[in-house]
Amino acid sequence: MGKGERTKTKSQSAREKIKAQQAEQRAREKRRKTVTYVTAGAVAVAAVGLGWWYAASISRPEEAAGALAPITVQADGTAVMAKAGVTAPVVDIYEDFQCPACKELERVSGQTFKNLAAEGKAKVVFHPITIFSQEPTKSNSVRAANAARCVADGKQWLAFHDLLFKNQPSETEEGFKVDQLKQWGKEAGVTSPDFDQCVTSNKNADAHLAYSKKISEEQKLNHTPTVKLNGTEIDNQVLFSPAQLRDEITGAAK
Amino acid sequence: MTTVARLILGGVLIAAGALKIGNPADSVVAVKAYQLLPESIAVAVGYALPILEIVVGVLLVVGLLTRVAAVVAALLMFAFVFGIGWAWAKGLRIDCGCFGGGGQLGAGQEPTYLLDILRDFGLVLLGAWVARFPPGRFALDGALGLGGDTQDEDEGDD
Repeated sequence: MGKGERTKTKSQSAREKIKAQQAEQRAREKRRKTVTYVTAGAVAVAAVGLGWWYAASISRPEEAAGALAPITVQADGTAVMAKAGVTAPVVDIYEDFQCPACKELERVSGQTFKNLAAEGKAKVVFHPITIFSQEPTKSNSVRAANAARCVADGKQWLAFHDLLFKNQPSETEEGFKVDQLKQWGKEAGVTSPDFDQCVTSNKNADAHLAYSKKISEEQKLNHTPTVKLNGTEIDNQVLFSPAQLRDEITGAAK
Repeated sequence: MTTVARLILGGVLIAAGALKIGNPADSVVAVKAYQLLPESIAVAVGYALPILEIVVGVLLVVGLLTRVAAVVAALLMFAFVFGIGWAWAKGLRIDCGCFGGGGQLGAGQEPTYLLDILRDFGLVLLGAWVARFPPGRFALDGALGLGGDTQDEDEGDD
């Protein structure tokens, strides 16, 4: 065992030590990278999930509370939903049976309007109008609104109104066809004796278009749905958040 | 160069998401307007899309998980291109709903499908670029020693 050999082994083991150290450092680096990546990824995914959950929760419709408030169909084609003696606050809903955003409003906030009326906290007025000026949407909308005017009983009217939104056709093709409207009338339990004939003849079309034009000008409507609380338009964001909508309307009652 | 691509793509995503985020109903309507997804899925996508855009956009801007974010962003943009192409092919007359809005056109408005597609396709390319090259300067990935600036043997980011 000479001196030279000893230094050789020493330096060899030192080199190996360094190598091992380097390997360990690399492994540490890699671990750190993985941890950082996974953490950042998890945070990102959690943020998306949370945002989704939040959006879904503010748009969650209310549960049906039970009996509806009495509904009366008016001569001008509108329908009033209010408990006897409730005259304020007034919630005016201007909607088009063919408009997708109105369908969404009914899906998200329709039950809120019904519940508030049933609780005697608001007088709700439905104004079906035709906002579309192009085909096929215009005729679809008019046919549906005509059919709604063929229903005399308020409860049946609302059931039919809900079915029309539920079965809303695409904006690119002819929909709300006469036979379908008759069928949905049956489903809604419409008992008006001349309902079928009234749907076929489209006899309320002119009256409906005249009313749409008049009310749109009076109320300066340029989009549907427009919902007004005592004459002031409710902000879109509030309109589509049932809890906020309820607060706004009950707040106006005080 | 990658830094610029990152910031543009991230910025666009943040803007698009931010304009939609306050109005989940609008974005649901916009997604439904494409008539591409079944009702229930369209609702879920409408709720999730704005926040997803913002999160991916922020990741791109700060340069964290840059490559993953870029791949997701490119896929998103590709899906948008597909959706707009679909709407065009089906002859739908809708507003793309890209930056908020309910996806409906008013009377007399014409859809601008070609412009929308070109813009989104450009963003697909930007996403591909960012995914392909290292994240560049000013990226957190660099600062944290992630995503490597050199011949780092990336093991296919999860």
